[in-house]
Amino acid sequence: MISFLGTVLLGAIILLCIMAALAPFESLGWWAGWYGEEKSPRVPGQAATMDKAVAESPHDHFLVYLSGIGAITPEGIPQEEIDWGHLAVKRIPQTTFVPDVYPYSATNTGLSTDRLFSRLWNYLEQRRLKNPYDLLQFLINIRNLFQVAISADRRYGPIYNLGVSDEIVKALQLRGYRIGSGKPVTLIGFSGGAQIALGASTFLKPTLNAPIRIISIGGVMSDDVGVKAMDKLYHIWGDLDPLHGLGEKLYAGRWPIFPNSDWNQALATGKIEFVNMGQMHHNGSTNYFSWIAFTPQGQSHAVATIGMINTLLVKERLINPEAARAAQAVTDAEAIAYSDARVAEGAAAKQARQQARATS
Amino acid sequence: MFDFLWYVWQGITQSMVLNPRVAEVVEQSPDSGWVVLTIAILGGAGLLLGQSVILLVNRVQPRRFALSLLMNGIVFASSLALWALTIWVIGRWIFPTQPNLILVMELIGLSAAPYVFGLFVLIPYLGEFAYRVLSTWSAVIATGATAYSFKVGWWPAFLLVGASWLVIWGVSNTLGRPILALRSRALRAVSGTTLDASVADILVQFATPGSDNNRTQRGQHD
Repeated sequence: MISFLGTVLLGAIILLCIMAALAPFESLGWWAGWYGEEKSPRVPGQAATMDKAVAESPHDHFLVYLSGIGAITPEGIPQEEIDWGHLAVKRIPQTTFVPDVYPYSATNTGLSTDRLFSRLWNYLEQRRLKNPYDLLQFLINIRNLFQVAISADRRYGPIYNLGVSDEIVKALQLRGYRIGSGKPVTLIGFSGGAQIALGASTFLKPTLNAPIRIISIGGVMSDDVGVKAMDKLYHIWGDLDPLHGLGEKLYAGRWPIFPNSDWNQALATGKIEFVNMGQMHHNGSTNYFSWIAFTPQGQSHAVATIGMINTLLVKERLINPEAARAAQAVTDAEAIAYSDARVAEGAAAKQARQQARATS
Repeated sequence: MFDFLWYVWQGITQSMVLNPRVAEVVEQSPDSGWVVLTIAILGGAGLLLGQSVILLVNRVQPRRFALSLLMNGIVFASSLALWALTIWVIGRWIFPTQPNLILVMELIGLSAAPYVFGLFVLIPYLGEFAYRVLSTWSAVIATGATAYSFKVGWWPAFLLVGASWLVIWGVSNTLGRPILALRSRALRAVSGTTLDASVADILVQFATPGSDNNRTQRGQHD
């Protein structure tokens, strides 16, 4: 029995290593033109040209959301992030939202189409829709985790991050951003999305020639060279989040013993700021997007996180404080009702489980 | 064919577990020389596969990518043969045992076994560590092979391996320069590019406003 388990475990580790070793070929192959000329990278200093005309957005601020490693397409993200995003759009004023980038592909290709294993990813997505806590969904997380590690790896990072940056530029243009307008762009990255945001900023800055800010929500980030390119990084973290600190353990450039590293220099000059969110977890029902966990002030974690983003955007003078207050006031009732509904759902589900246990 | 592959697999695995009788295992094959040569070529190909980012940054196309791996395998096998010859010449001079040159070549050829797993060097974050592990493993196999061939302990064998490596390094950087240049030229010819672009060039080109350096732009390959 032990020998069988040992063989299975060894097989799983070898399979994982092979998956990890093959992971860089997606972005490297894109760069090399292995997947066709039309998908190859642009020439330096030029943004992609759009096939269709898009009216310029009336907003002076653009916000790109890069999801956590649970995503399989730009839309196929965990339900909690979707719900959170719907409210964020309403509560953050004077901003054009860009949720159209899949950060775990250099070509913005989601996992559900145009891929060898798309049937597997679709199957896992279906399972996740039925059960948000399905264990097999961790295969998606592992696959995307490798892409985060690619973004942070100096051997591949520049190629991967260039691809994502191109896709962000395209998505911005499709939402009415004009290259050369100089309008500021804020990248919000959750978990691994923060590393992708940091990596992409290296190439976004010279392409857009506009202020680039990053808000990391529990982000796992390396000492990426993007630190030099971006203008400001806020790292939002919870006391109970064990994952957000992984970056500072794994990447030597973030260790305090290297005070001259890009990261530590940026930290020393105030370009990077850490913002504590109190008792929040990275995952589970008490994470940054939770509707059923509350701060000591009585706000759901989801609302508190959006509130903090609003505060930071006001501090950076990207949105008007009165407009922010008004947007929050208008949506307070909706936020509370939504939160109450999720709490009621949770209570009903718990009761059903207890009844099922009692009858069995 | 399956017998041959079985002996190749045995050669790889037995070398990696430092089985001192690995030579006997391989010698059981009627094609023992080919078995070792295959392992050395696979090791060389694996070594380049692990470092294939250089090929892809230079936009080497799939067919030429495969040819480059094979070419590196052949070059690596040749360099192992040269290394074995150096060990044999120095070893005969300082140790009383006079082993057969073919035996030394076969055993040193088996030190390529860990590099067959060079693919793992591609693993993000852990790849460079994996490379060091494989290199150390290969050096340990070479030392064990030398100890076995000359019937000496690990430390004398280690010194002999180190001395031969120094000789190879010295010759490569003096008399061997034309050969190295020829090797690089052959690799460039097989890959179809100049192979002089690096990831750092991408940063310079795309992360610097107004850069017109076009070393990594499309169109340089055939």
